Amino acid sequence: MLSYLVRRLLVAIPTLLGVTFIVFSIVRVLPGDPAQAMAGVHATQEYIEQVRKELGLDLPMHVQYARFLGGLLRGDLGRSLRTGLPVAEEVWTRFIPTLELTAASLFLTLILGITVGILSATKPYSLYDHASMFLSLAGLSMPVFWLGLMLMLLFSVRLGWFPAAGRGGLRHLVLPSVTLAASSVALVARFTRSTLLEVLRQEYITTARAKGVRESRAIFVHALRNALIPIVTIVGLRFGALLSGAVLTETVFAWPGVGRLVVDSVSARDYPVIQGAVLVIAACFVFINIAVDLLYGVINPRIRYD
Amino acid sequence: MKRSGLWLVLGVLVLALSAVAQGPKVGGELVIAFGTDPESLDPNKITSAPAGMVLTHIAETLLTMTEELEVAPLLAESWEFSEDGLSLTLYLRKGVKFHDGTPFNAEAVKVNLERFRKATYAFLLFPRVQTIEVVDEYTVRLNLDKPFAPLVAHLTHNFVAMVSPKQIAELPEGQEIMAPVGTGPFKFDKWVRGEYVRIVRNDEYWGPKPYVDAVVFRVVPSDATRLVLLETGQVHAIMRVPPMDAPRVAATPGLEVVRVPSVRTIYIAFNYQKAPWTDVRVRQALNYAVDKEAIVKEILGGAGGVSDAPIMPLIFGYAPQKPYPYDPEKARKLLDEAGIPRGFKCTLYHPTGRYMMDAAIAEAVQAYLREVGIEAELITMEWAAYLAFLRKPVEEATFDMFMLGWGCVTLDADYGLFPLFHTSEWAPKGSNRSFYSNPVVDALLEQGRVTPDPEARKAIYAEAIRVLWEDAGWLFLHYEVQINAQSTKVKGLIHHPREYILAHRAWLE
Repeated sequence: MLSYLVRRLLVAIPTLLGVTFIVFSIVRVLPGDPAQAMAGVHATQEYIEQVRKELGLDLPMHVQYARFLGGLLRGDLGRSLRTGLPVAEEVWTRFIPTLELTAASLFLTLILGITVGILSATKPYSLYDHASMFLSLAGLSMPVFWLGLMLMLLFSVRLGWFPAAGRGGLRHLVLPSVTLAASSVALVARFTRSTLLEVLRQEYITTARAKGVRESRAIFVHALRNALIPIVTIVGLRFGALLSGAVLTETVFAWPGVGRLVVDSVSARDYPVIQGAVLVIAACFVFINIAVDLLYGVINPRIRYD
Repeated sequence: MKRSGLWLVLGVLVLALSAVAQGPKVGGELVIAFGTDPESLDPNKITSAPAGMVLTHIAETLLTMTEELEVAPLLAESWEFSEDGLSLTLYLRKGVKFHDGTPFNAEAVKVNLERFRKATYAFLLFPRVQTIEVVDEYTVRLNLDKPFAPLVAHLTHNFVAMVSPKQIAELPEGQEIMAPVGTGPFKFDKWVRGEYVRIVRNDEYWGPKPYVDAVVFRVVPSDATRLVLLETGQVHAIMRVPPMDAPRVAATPGLEVVRVPSVRTIYIAFNYQKAPWTDVRVRQALNYAVDKEAIVKEILGGAGGVSDAPIMPLIFGYAPQKPYPYDPEKARKLLDEAGIPRGFKCTLYHPTGRYMMDAAIAEAVQAYLREVGIEAELITMEWAAYLAFLRKPVEEATFDMFMLGWGCVTLDADYGLFPLFHTSEWAPKGSNRSFYSNPVVDALLEQGRVTPDPEARKAIYAEAIRVLWEDAGWLFLHYEVQINAQSTKVKGLIHHPREYILAHRAWLE
């Protein structure tokens, strides 16, 4: 197991290097440059050239990339072109709120999604099943922006139960995490249901029932354990999507997360922040995938990694 | 009267008087929500109105622009140009201190202005200002290479703000000011990037002290969310209410809509050096073809003023012209005269989401042009790409028309006309992205810069505007009107044409 982990971590390095190269190239291919974007519509060409020099943007591409990689090796992600603050600091301060939001959404996804899915699978084609699958279809189809505003109007403006926007205590977390989790809950519920249904049809379940095993034990111990592998995969993928794709939720709820940081940085062509933030998100994604793969070994002892 | 009766009467009188004497309440935290996080709070790096709005509460300028558009004293009590117009002497206010206790004086001004040479908006003062002289402790002299009449208006620009020389001296190389120390009615408290900036009352302010204890500028990117926050009472005032929401907000009890003209003019420019836009008849024709009143009324919900000059009415030097009426027949006649066939194809570039209803306006213009037989292809791009696209030199400029806005933030005609119409300001060097060139206009704009007498300047700009108008330098559209909203519990907020909300004299009931 340990050697597997080490191998996976080593393989992660070229993956992440590839990510840095792609992001580095793409942002520099975009029309417009940081100096122009920062200087704005009123600035003179002279000033823009001055800024370009100061920021080292007039250096050849490979020199800029080498500098970036060199910094990376030292653990230095560079400084934001806009603010001059260290990129690591900028990304970290925005990453914590994103982690908060993602963790809360993930929590909802696991609890609600899997529960609803299990209940649906154990009572297939019942009224409950139809209702919950319909609701999950709705959850998948509703645009995040719209859902967020609707929840805000109902729970904040009408009922006054939760604050409308901004980051604060637990109460501030409710509406944004529900909004963000909606499609994930729906996806996981449907997936859990279909996977579990398939597993419940297997012969070993029939055997367990014939043996006189309690139905709840048959479901939770025997069936669920086997259904967990695909479910864990999907949840792992959703976690990555939640981390990086929360930008709409962050915009609606004025949540100071990393998604908005990336979008704002792209608009400002703040190359170091874009590179740093995307690298951090990619790294998270890679580690989540490794964790999910390791989890397979825990869930299903027959899976070995030597 | 019995004793107890007398006391009763007195008691009632006192109560009545105190109710009448109820004036501004001191205290409370005012919350204003706007759409974008300030890019910087360093006067050298500031480029946007939201950032300027925050900074201006903390750090003050030497002069200010009153609501009647007159230059008035602020940190400088008085000023005078020399006879030859080559130097401006400023007599500074005494007894003013920065928030860190450093005294404000001529030396402080010099330090600030020298630093401003490197600022994004340095062009406001430099290179016209050659040297800055400390004449005595409270007198500063700016020496120019050529007379520059707009200089005084430029000194009212909120970006030319004074911060503590101690802060400047202690600032590490290559870093910018994150927590400005100014002389203003509010002191910087906290800035959580992407979330809010908080400022607190300066109890040692040299002028009238603010009523509120603190102001929080909250960053809320979504228009709809800002509205919700206002409606739930989580914020007291918001900027940029979408036009279609304005009537509903105005009808909501406890809220009010504030409409204030903005200094920003929205226009469509022609590629002046490319046929057929070289023909004045064609340019005029397009001005007749578009119904600007309808655009302002229907698309902007009235939140705009049809342009009757390249600058808006609050700008010094403004001179109203006869608007081009909506007359598609006349437009078609002019196009025929100029030999433009029906179905003539051209391109119209426009930004999306940058100005109020910009994409919708572009579509409307396209429809109007189609009516007179011009097929305009709409091309849009993201803002940074758009700016880059418009920075090409004339040989590489492929566009026919583009839409843009220009905020004449100095409130002086020179800034609204010179960078956009003078031949020396052709892109990529300057902001004359339409490559407009007219020797008559050039001469007038140059003259406007060196003429000291305000009345004479007004006449010069009136003539320049007249020429530009008849020459149809642009497809003139409108100037924006800001739609802001606030709770009726807030009094004394100033909504300024520079797109600021000022809390200096505001209070919460």
